[in-house]
Amino acid sequence: MDEREVEMDERQAREEIQLIRTMVEKTRQATAESGALFIVWGVLCTLALLGNYILDALKLYRWIWANWVGMSVIGLIITIVYSIRRGRRDSVQTYAQIAARHLYFACGLGFLLVGLLFPASGVYSYEAIPALISAVFGILFFVLGGIFAWPFLKGIGLGWWAGAAGLSFFPVGIRVPVYTGLFMVLFLLPAIVLRLKFRRERIPS
Amino acid sequence: MTAGKLEPLDPLIHSQVRLAVLSILVSVENADFNYLKQATETTDGNLSTHLTKLEEAGYAAVLKAFRGKKPTTTYSVTPKGKAAFARYIKALESYLPPGR
Repeated sequence: MDEREVEMDERQAREEIQLIRTMVEKTRQATAESGALFIVWGVLCTLALLGNYILDALKLYRWIWANWVGMSVIGLIITIVYSIRRGRRDSVQTYAQIAARHLYFACGLGFLLVGLLFPASGVYSYEAIPALISAVFGILFFVLGGIFAWPFLKGIGLGWWAGAAGLSFFPVGIRVPVYTGLFMVLFLLPAIVLRLKFRRERIPS
Repeated sequence: MTAGKLEPLDPLIHSQVRLAVLSILVSVENADFNYLKQATETTDGNLSTHLTKLEEAGYAAVLKAFRGKKPTTTYSVTPKGKAAFARYIKALESYLPPGR
């Protein structure tokens, strides 16, 4: 049979197409975004925002930078350790995962530049940070939605861009509280949805 | 009912396990032996035989490496394998009624 070209009937053709669909779907489920790092960064950023609020209220302004640098360092360490461990465990790697990893790296670097380095070096005032960070979040979620073909994430990306534009209209004093609300709705919510979706669909790989 | 000429099917892909393996490999960068075994629900020996056939045909490439201290065998589809899979899908379509 292996030496000759073969033919089949319509029923067999349908069965083979169904088999292909099943394999592709299994692989999609096995490589779904886990959302674990979104949860980690969500918790860290929430704590840092809380710290920011407390330090601001206590007028301990110079500690606000330490608060964000500390959060970033802890987040980076957790991200690196998690990524190495997951890389060792994952038995299948998709193009979408590779694209997403590059996106996470690009946006992570973007956050460090627009959130810490540029304002610390005086490129612009710290007042611009929430709007610029929101713009990078917009890129992260919109592109992620494209990579994983999930319109919900694209919508979240659009929400971040709308938030970035909206933040510039708020008085400087209330930008951080407004940003915190934005963060709760547009970061923590999709992080939880991603995690729940992963746990529901995941088949062990 | 089918329309037009029925396309011949590539015998190297026309096997449930090999078709399943190629369907996975064309949608990923690479997949290791254990994942392929689990997804295709076959045995080590059976999968090995089919993977060897795909490898010999130049449809799949194998990479043996270490993940930490653990040896792993990872497979990926070659450009030749991708082209053969695309031809196979086109041939399958010729067995279906038009517009389905």
